[in-house]
Amino acid sequence: MELLTFTFVQYAFLGGIAMAILTGLLGPFVVQSKQSIASDMFAHVALAGIGAALLVGMSPWWGALPALLIVSTLIWWLLDSGKYSPDALAMFFLSGGLALALAFVHVARDTVFSFENYLFGSILTLTAIDLVAILVATVIVIGMVWYLWYPLLGATQSPRYLVPFRHTPQIVQLLFFWLLAIVVWIGIKTIGGLLIGALLVIPVLAARSWASSFKQLVALSTLVSVASVFFGLVVALYVDLPPSSLIIGTAILIFILQAGVSIVVQKQTT
Amino acid sequence: MNNPVISVKNVTKAVDGRQLLVDVSFDIAEQSLVSLIGPNGAGKSTLVKIILGLDRQYDGLVTVRPDERVQYIPQLSMSDQHQLPMSVFEYISIATSSLYSMSPKKVDFQQTLTHVGVSAEKLHQSYVSLSGGERQRVAIARALLGDPTILVLDEPLAAVDYASRSGLYELIRHLQQDHKMTVLLVSHDIDSVLPLSDQVLCLNKSLHTDCHPSEFVSQTGHVNKSVHHHC
Repeated sequence: MELLTFTFVQYAFLGGIAMAILTGLLGPFVVQSKQSIASDMFAHVALAGIGAALLVGMSPWWGALPALLIVSTLIWWLLDSGKYSPDALAMFFLSGGLALALAFVHVARDTVFSFENYLFGSILTLTAIDLVAILVATVIVIGMVWYLWYPLLGATQSPRYLVPFRHTPQIVQLLFFWLLAIVVWIGIKTIGGLLIGALLVIPVLAARSWASSFKQLVALSTLVSVASVFFGLVVALYVDLPPSSLIIGTAILIFILQAGVSIVVQKQTT
Repeated sequence: MNNPVISVKNVTKAVDGRQLLVDVSFDIAEQSLVSLIGPNGAGKSTLVKIILGLDRQYDGLVTVRPDERVQYIPQLSMSDQHQLPMSVFEYISIATSSLYSMSPKKVDFQQTLTHVGVSAEKLHQSYVSLSGGERQRVAIARALLGDPTILVLDEPLAAVDYASRSGLYELIRHLQQDHKMTVLLVSHDIDSVLPLSDQVLCLNKSLHTDCHPSEFVSQTGHVNKSVHHHC
């Protein structure tokens, strides 16, 4: 418990739980819209933004945000045109983002920079400024999801079919992409770009059997997400393993446990 | 026909050299119930997408009268294993949010359900736990909250089991008259739609004359039920 008195540990818990709330909140919308791969796509685009920021001498993490917002808009526009399949676009931006990132970092010749921090997270190195940015972004995302709850529910369920002669479903889907971009931006600083997708999806899979409404699903997946981050970080204080691995490992363990309980309950009721 | 709600003129669509629609023309009168029937692959869904403005890659002219409020109920699948939980309340609430509804208003959801023949007790149940017929009725209830002047339904009986089918077309006809809507109903079940329709359009890439002769289709009244059709 003495470890909890260290500032960097407190920042890690605060930043991690903020991220967990966001992934729990947005994860059901991501899974419902069948955009689970989008978080990975955005994460690779963020790497290109990080590389570009290094080139111009900006803070890498802050460089990722404009890149994410611009490219998420481009991806939305390409998807909305209907000319390209979502999986082909995902591969285009996954590989393209990584290739650009490698090129930018090579040209920048920054010997101190390490991609690993952004691929797998560095939650124990959060600064006060990072934490404030994460908390402000968290409030913005929660506020927008609260305000756009039913439009988001409709746009991620069947974007083209609800009101065919108006464009609101498409605009809501663009806002949804921006929200996802902000969550990925927080994710690359905390749990890592390659692992944020797991925290968006696994809690939803663990919670879906126990919910009968979307609100219940969001509440339960947020609970699973927060529990995963909390227990993952607690264990990381005492075990020499990366916090990101422990957080995702906890989420997978919760999924396996609930699947076992679900099977037993089903057998008892039949 | 004077000032039709929907006018389709010489619509032709081909994809990769394959003809999907050939020179289709018809008008739909205000507050009529029009059935679009035809076998699988006849181009029914393609034509509906063109009318709704979802598909703009075609030759010809489609006009929908300005200021019409259109609601579309797509073909529902019998079961979607990947559908996440959603209550009936949430399913209906989507249509009342400010971004989707022309005039968002407070709605008595229980009354909305009973209006389409679904028990008010189902309001807080999971949507996927409903039968196919109940889901279709709830989908209609949600569409009605948009206060449509035009309602387009794609194969409303496709995901409905036989026992639940009775009364669904009658409900659609009743609601069409009650709400003074124009209804475009896509179906391959000619026997069920014929007695209820003001106009029947039989499509098989082009409008099929065997199924659409002037002597059995009345543009203003009901269909002469004694005529046989071959779609």
